[in-house]
Amino acid sequence: MEAKPSSNLSSKFVDQVVVPGDVILDLSSMANQTIKLGGGLRQDGDSISVMKAGTLRFTKPNKYWVESSHKRYVPCAGDNVLGVVVDTKPENFLVDIRGPALAFLPVLAFEGGTRRNIPKFEVGTLLYVRVVNANTGMNPELSCMDASGKAAEYGVLKEGYMFESSTGLSRMLLSSPPYPVLEALGKKLSFEIAVGINGCFWVNASQSSTVILVGNAIQKSESLSMVQQKIYLEKLLKSIQ
Amino acid sequence: MDQRQANSLIMTVNEKKFIESALLSDIRVDGRRPFDYRNLTIRFGSEDGSSEVQLGHTQVIGFVSAQLIQPYRDRPTEGTFAIYIEFSPMADPSFEAGRPGETAVELGQIVDRGLRESRAIDTESLCVVAGKLVWSIRIDLHIIDNGGNLVDAANIAALAALSTFRRPECTFGGEDGQEVIVNPPDLWEPLPLIIHHLPVAVTFGFIGKENNVVIDPTHYEEAVMGGSMTATLNTNGDICAIQKAGGDGVLQSVIMQCLRIASVKAGDITSKIKNAVEAYNTQRSLRKIKRHDPLPDEQGSIDVAKYHMERLTLGSDVSTAGHSNMEIGSQSNERDETNKKNTTAKGFSGRPASWDPYSRGVDGDALKASLASRVTAPPDKHIKSSRQVKADVAKSSQRSSDTNSFQEAKKIGLQTDESKTLKDAVKPRQKRRINKSTSNSAAT
Repeated sequence: MEAKPSSNLSSKFVDQVVVPGDVILDLSSMANQTIKLGGGLRQDGDSISVMKAGTLRFTKPNKYWVESSHKRYVPCAGDNVLGVVVDTKPENFLVDIRGPALAFLPVLAFEGGTRRNIPKFEVGTLLYVRVVNANTGMNPELSCMDASGKAAEYGVLKEGYMFESSTGLSRMLLSSPPYPVLEALGKKLSFEIAVGINGCFWVNASQSSTVILVGNAIQKSESLSMVQQKIYLEKLLKSIQ
Repeated sequence: MDQRQANSLIMTVNEKKFIESALLSDIRVDGRRPFDYRNLTIRFGSEDGSSEVQLGHTQVIGFVSAQLIQPYRDRPTEGTFAIYIEFSPMADPSFEAGRPGETAVELGQIVDRGLRESRAIDTESLCVVAGKLVWSIRIDLHIIDNGGNLVDAANIAALAALSTFRRPECTFGGEDGQEVIVNPPDLWEPLPLIIHHLPVAVTFGFIGKENNVVIDPTHYEEAVMGGSMTATLNTNGDICAIQKAGGDGVLQSVIMQCLRIASVKAGDITSKIKNAVEAYNTQRSLRKIKRHDPLPDEQGSIDVAKYHMERLTLGSDVSTAGHSNMEIGSQSNERDETNKKNTTAKGFSGRPASWDPYSRGVDGDALKASLASRVTAPPDKHIKSSRQVKADVAKSSQRSSDTNSFQEAKKIGLQTDESKTLKDAVKPRQKRRINKSTSNSAAT
């Protein structure tokens, strides 16, 4: 997630705040190169312009995206999100991924999925899915397989509780090196967590109190600075000892 | 189809199961215990009778206003009150603008019943002329954020707003002494409502089959609960109203336990409301304290009384009887100015409005005497300045036309009976405009 120092290739806007309308890259000056565009960017002929306000990020070799923190999620291809099944249709499951539109999960988009073993999801099932494509104006498409067709970690999440956060917090939770709150909690408590980039995360543990503790600690830590986080966690972990 | 589905809260099965299983160990998702309330914050607006209540994530704004109407035929000596609830669409995706839906109406009924059946508001004191004119109190509640348990928050907002509301005083006057004159709040100190007790609503949610009870449910808990009960009671131990909604049956023992807990919580909430109201009232009276030495009252009391009468008759033309209403001030302003031509008494009225630049707070004669040597500069008179709120007056009208607005800026709030020292209050530069403005206002 860190931007490397710019070579000739990368835009000079990397790691800076950009607003919709900024042109970050002019493709006419770069020939024969593939650029991958993440969320918040759009190709207008030869120029790459910004659609969402935030910080421009770049990773080698060629991926650009705009990062910002909202409570609302704008679906983007390649994201791993948490979704809730809302309805079942013959061809798709309708899944709510907290975006502007419901997403479609094809009934066959599971590892080894055939017409004979279509999973039965009741309304309200929590799923960890991947966004396959998300064009503006259309319903996003999901899949419970990774790009190579394996199930990976996608699928139904059982038990546990889903907490709401913001997209920024979700990204921080997924960053490496790991989020200090997660590290500190992980040292003392045992739990499993699934983070969706759409502003929610799921926690499960053997005891309900652990789940509640972890979930609330993460939610509260978003608004605290590094130092405050340390203090808060120390107090918290001491109190459960 | 898509949109409507997206609007309602979609709960996962995990959440429902989890909430129930966590309750078995006496813990709730936000870390509270089953009988803990969320943080309650009560704030007041700049006007009397406006309150803002925050209960966790739930936010409600309350606003009280009053109007003179004809009473009901079967209750000629009682005033009336009515509650209007609005669920703002920004509170929840499932709230739509327009006519209130079922939940809104139900909420209104619960709050209304709590106040009406228990006779918390003294309606007899709202009577002005039996059979002809009574005060009608209107309570507006706006839900601006739905974090669960709207009933309790709305009820507290209504109580807080009612406790700080002041209605204008009415006097009889006119030629035959039968005319009712509504005195603008700048002239006569408005009166608070007589509230006998505070009926506080306490809501319980019943989750799961084992009748697990939680108090003050969040909107997640509301989505999974099987039934709810709202008990409205006061600190005297009276139960004013009970509302049980939802399909699940509840054991009698559970209900009795809930009522006992509710009375404890009601006591807590009542004391919080009372403290907040007291703090507000103290602040309000502090605002009225003058900040400079008083001028000796040069006018005789008779002149003052005569002046009052003339001024007060103008008030009868004003239709609305709201509190600290800008319109009252500005309308009476215009009439004041016409009347000023006829009035010779420039007596200090004793209670000019802080925001009213045309009020009679200026002791014209005394000023003229002190400013005789000064050069007058033309004031730029903007009607706008008369409509500014106290705070705005303090900030922006310092440099603008009227001394009166300036003087209000200096001493925010109503005056007491002793006259004020305009000389001391006013900067030399402004004094020039005082003279001109008073003579100008007499001319218009």
